[in-house]
Amino acid sequence: MFGQNVEIRTINLNSVRERNEVDVFLQKQDLILERDVEYTLAMYDEDRIVGTGSISGNVLKCIAIDPEYQGGGFSNKIISLLLNEQYYRGNTHLFIFTKPRNKKLFLDLGFYEITSVDNYVTLLENDPRGLRDFTENLKLQKHEGKVVSSIVMNCNPFTLGHRHLIETASKNSDVVHIFVVWEDRSVFPNEVRYKLIKAGVKHLDNVYVHRGKDYIISNSTFPSYFLKEKNAIVKIHTMLDVKIFGEFIAPALGINRRYVGEEKSDPVTNEYNLTMKELLKDYNIEVVEIPRIKNNEAAISASRVRELLRTDDFESLKQLVPQTTFEFLISDEAKTIIGNIKNDKK
Amino acid sequence: MEIKKVGVAGTVESSDINIVIEPSDKKGIEIELQSTVMKQFGRQIKNLIEETLKSEGVESAVVRATDKGAIDFVIKARALTALYRAAEINEYSWEA
Amino acid sequence: MVKLRRTMMYVTGNNPANIMEAHLYGSDSIMFDLEDSVSLKEKDSARFLVYNALKTMDYGNVETVVRINGLDTQFGRDDLEAMVRAQPDIIRLPKTETKQDIIDVDNMIGEIEKQIGLEVGSTKIMAAVESPLGVMNAYEIATASKRLVAIAIGAEDFVTNMKTTRSPEGIELLAARSNLLMAARAAGIYALDTVYTNIKDDDGFMDEVKLIKQLGFDGKSVIHPRQIGMVHKIYTPTEKEIRNAVRVVGAIKEAESKGSGVIALDGKMIDGPVVDRAYRVLELAKASGVYKEEEQND
Repeated sequence: MFGQNVEIRTINLNSVRERNEVDVFLQKQDLILERDVEYTLAMYDEDRIVGTGSISGNVLKCIAIDPEYQGGGFSNKIISLLLNEQYYRGNTHLFIFTKPRNKKLFLDLGFYEITSVDNYVTLLENDPRGLRDFTENLKLQKHEGKVVSSIVMNCNPFTLGHRHLIETASKNSDVVHIFVVWEDRSVFPNEVRYKLIKAGVKHLDNVYVHRGKDYIISNSTFPSYFLKEKNAIVKIHTMLDVKIFGEFIAPALGINRRYVGEEKSDPVTNEYNLTMKELLKDYNIEVVEIPRIKNNEAAISASRVRELLRTDDFESLKQLVPQTTFEFLISDEAKTIIGNIKNDKK
Repeated sequence: MEIKKVGVAGTVESSDINIVIEPSDKKGIEIELQSTVMKQFGRQIKNLIEETLKSEGVESAVVRATDKGAIDFVIKARALTALYRAAEINEYSWEA
Repeated sequence: MVKLRRTMMYVTGNNPANIMEAHLYGSDSIMFDLEDSVSLKEKDSARFLVYNALKTMDYGNVETVVRINGLDTQFGRDDLEAMVRAQPDIIRLPKTETKQDIIDVDNMIGEIEKQIGLEVGSTKIMAAVESPLGVMNAYEIATASKRLVAIAIGAEDFVTNMKTTRSPEGIELLAARSNLLMAARAAGIYALDTVYTNIKDDDGFMDEVKLIKQLGFDGKSVIHPRQIGMVHKIYTPTEKEIRNAVRVVGAIKEAESKGSGVIALDGKMIDGPVVDRAYRVLELAKASGVYKEEEQND
């Protein structure tokens, strides 16, 4: 039909061949087709891919147009189709990670800048009131104190290790704000993780638990596709996450300290913690690392708990989680989740 | 007309406008507009969206619009589509 | 005046840029599509857009056609409600197979016309035939309603139903095209040919246009502005055809001025089809810019 000399097709993500074609095209633009994409479009001129874009959760990603086809309104077309797909999926609050040099394109398409990290990455959202509403809402939950601490945690699921971290923070602070990572990529769904944390800290009256929606950037959301900076990716992600935390979230709640679990054995998390420590100085936020507590010579961790669930070892498990979490794990509600853990071969 | 859920219509392609209509707890129609012709026509576009919604009996809504140079009939058509989707109504009384 | 329908350009019903400028490319008709080019999720938005466009835009002398969805769907019935009120020049029905399809839509349109105080029968329709059954019933379809001004062949579905594909020579469509044309001519309505989808193959396109012109089609559906000029060029009459037509029209005028009921040229009587062809040739010549009215006075 008139006006369309290219054809846009939906990629069958189960087809290795189709994924591969898109991936090869993206690599020419210094990107890759990320593993977590849920929906991918490609624009073809005859049988050659000349543009593509994808969706993952509430993020638009892996978007690229062949340089020869730029300026023809094709990127608007691809982004329009991705936006429509998102709306049909019920996702209306959307995000894009892009290179700062490309942000103009998205600013012209109804996106608004949240923040940028140097020349590396810009985060945009499609709601001009998104971040503003989020921080306004946080301000309503502000509690005065000299030491106001914060912990960002996933808790997949909530263990005695997590509780120890929170208790330590609680004892040494006037107020503690917990942000639960909301990205739903863990076996325990976000609402369950949130519920278990709340139940597990009920005895601490200066601890407040928040749903860490949208503006707590977990590393699973952060695109791994900035190929050229592959080695710096953890650092860039941390910089972005910390910048949003320091610029918007901390001031809204008056946060001046952040607690993290010590992570000497995991180089990625260790680097994250080191970078965070460095960067949060600029916002007058102190970072305190708390060593992990142990049980039978091994640190208590959520991954150990999941391992024990796989083998139905509830006796050992009881030593690692608070009573509230344990009760959930033996309830009917947990059966599907435990089933999923057992089915996951990795 | 009552807005029940988020309704969206239109695209961000040239000459089109993307309109998102959401329920609001506040009275009145609040419009956030981004437009390629903001300076000359921003006010006019907002007025047209507001009139279109009001003529359908909408009293409260939050609207987000991204305009790529749409002319009036396009703005009106997109506003109506987004509204009817948001109100989950399929029947429109077409006028001759 | 003879209405020309050499080119009918398809325009996606959900694309504002195209809807706004489609009439500027010089085709005789533009067809806003609510059917195949609009995804199921966007049927409502295309309907609102085309309705508001027809209510607002001035398309000048360009004939406006709207292809609605099949009336076996809710989309189609909603489209009809909206479009009879928006009043394009013609409403096009897809996938017509029997005369009953036409009678049904005739009645439905009549009901709407009554509701809105429009003269019953004033809304014109065009039927697209896209299946072997439709081709077999072409004459019955072509004569099923006074509203019907044209029938068109849609080849993509047809060749699939025929268990074949389209070829450059078009041999697989020959019988269908011929049958449809005869039905149209017998019924005294227009016959329009299908689209040529490869917009990059100019030679193939022009070969096909020459073929369908030779068969006798009034025109062709086009999917891109670049195809319009090519069709018009092929439909431009030759100098000889124009000279002949001018002489025939001169003879008509002479007969009229003498008050004679018999038109004669070079001592031979001229009958209806020749007269019609002469007027048509002159319209084509005028539209192609190779002939002006004044020249008649030479």
